[in-house]
Amino acid sequence: MPDVILALLRIIFLGLVYLFVWQVARAIGSHLGISLKRERREGTRLLMVRSETQQGTEIEVSDATVLGRSSEADVLLDDPYASEFHMRLLAQENGLVLHDLGSTNGTYVNGRRVTAPTTLRRGDSVQVGKTVMEVR
Amino acid sequence: MTRKAEGFTILLASALAAFGVTLVNFANSGTLDAQSALTFLVFAIAFGALFVATQTWAPRASSLLIAPVAALTAIGFLEIYRLDPARAGLQRWWLLIAAAVAGSVLYLLHLGSTEILRRYRYTILLVSVILLLLPNLPSDWGFPLRGLEVNGSRLWVVFDAGLTPFSLQFQPAELAKLGLVIFVAAYLADHQHALRQAHRQVGPFRLPEPRQLLPLLITWGLSVFILISQRDLGASLLLFASFVLLLYAATGGGGYLVSGGLMTLLAGFAGYYAFDHVQRRVAGWLQPFENFEDAGYQISQGLFALGSGSLSGAGPGLGRPDLIPNAATDFIFAAVGEELGFAGTVAVLALYGLIMAVGLGIAFRSRDTFRKLLAAGLTFVLGVQTFLIIGGVLRLVPLTGITLPFMSYGGSALVGNLVLVAILLRISHEEAK
Repeated sequence: MPDVILALLRIIFLGLVYLFVWQVARAIGSHLGISLKRERREGTRLLMVRSETQQGTEIEVSDATVLGRSSEADVLLDDPYASEFHMRLLAQENGLVLHDLGSTNGTYVNGRRVTAPTTLRRGDSVQVGKTVMEVR
Repeated sequence: MTRKAEGFTILLASALAAFGVTLVNFANSGTLDAQSALTFLVFAIAFGALFVATQTWAPRASSLLIAPVAALTAIGFLEIYRLDPARAGLQRWWLLIAAAVAGSVLYLLHLGSTEILRRYRYTILLVSVILLLLPNLPSDWGFPLRGLEVNGSRLWVVFDAGLTPFSLQFQPAELAKLGLVIFVAAYLADHQHALRQAHRQVGPFRLPEPRQLLPLLITWGLSVFILISQRDLGASLLLFASFVLLLYAATGGGGYLVSGGLMTLLAGFAGYYAFDHVQRRVAGWLQPFENFEDAGYQISQGLFALGSGSLSGAGPGLGRPDLIPNAATDFIFAAVGEELGFAGTVAVLALYGLIMAVGLGIAFRSRDTFRKLLAAGLTFVLGVQTFLIIGGVLRLVPLTGITLPFMSYGGSALVGNLVLVAILLRISHEEAK
């Protein structure tokens, strides 16, 4: 009789070990899943649809990204009308948020000049000087 | 994982250790004693303290690291207890000490961030090299700090000032390996661009500039020197392999892997012809049964243990892992295989795999080069060490007497590895958004 109990307890022990491994693996998996989802999420990329030199360039925004004419900016805007540090894009839960950094010639979202932080949606167009970008 | 879930899994791991101890007692004498409760308490206090320290001093740290470490420690502890209850009692004390040291490291890094590790890289290098050389001190001089030779390898240091009735023994290499990884990560972070850009085309291979190879040659020399003077195959291989992997991670140059592999083979062949103990190791690896009486005995017993374990094992306390020499240190994996079977060993491998995944995940997400390389390097050290010893037990590679992280009996190893985990936790906290 004790042999049966021992065998049973042994299997329970192994079962508990696997329960544990499964729980940890699931937690790690869901962690990775979130980051994968974030990369694929819509509305976090800008495609340059009109530009003299950068047409077709895609800008992936993962965190805070500064766009401007300066080589110090995260993403270079090759446009004579762009300011050194023209605008900042912030990736947030509900999409990209655009801040104009007091640029000389302004930033236009769907043709309207930006005066306050603006949340961008998929399909919006962002214009700086002669460069037009579309949110993908 | 949320905080609550992490706390719960830590308690579950503690319960696992206690349950294992209960099973061993039940199998041996059919009685229950206070050991199970004591084990649960010590595990819950040690890992609970590490958990609380993380929440206090690195609140944004990854919540995925402590739980698998606790589970591995629990499974290892069950086998240590089964093999030698007296040593298990000591290991419980060491677990408490290790958690306290790891907590203090979290506090120190909270005060100064990981930048202090980078700033004091040369001091850390100096201390590590001194630590590595400590076992070379004479065993019979009047100074209270002495080297000690165990099983033909000179890895131990004894501190015996005559103040206490017992002497304190430790393996300085377990801490030195952390210091060396910190130094190498800082060095590579400083010279990353030069290393990445300077290449020389030799036929189909892109090889790094000879001048840039200098650090590689220096660590190679250092590890060969350790091999010769201390006869420590494991530590020198661990050091060198981790460093080559770090160079590869820092530069993306496959040439480092090729040249590192060639240098390892070169050192291996030279060592084979120069030292009889390397010859014995290789003989025990290639023909364990032909050398059963001699070099192959330990490996053969380990293989018998793994084989007799079959699918679900003999059960805790019901196998004979005590027949394997050094089962509680080098061969703990074979002991797990005998008593928990194939199922148990796969679970152990899965837990190591998860820890590697979390460690490399922390490295991937890091934006600062030094922290990225440090997280990768620490993970490499854990991974290479696990591979070398499990591979040695399974006869995949020659046996190098190093400990299995978190599971083997040994105080210095437990302290060193929990400090490693603490640094990883701190990096994940600093790199969290």
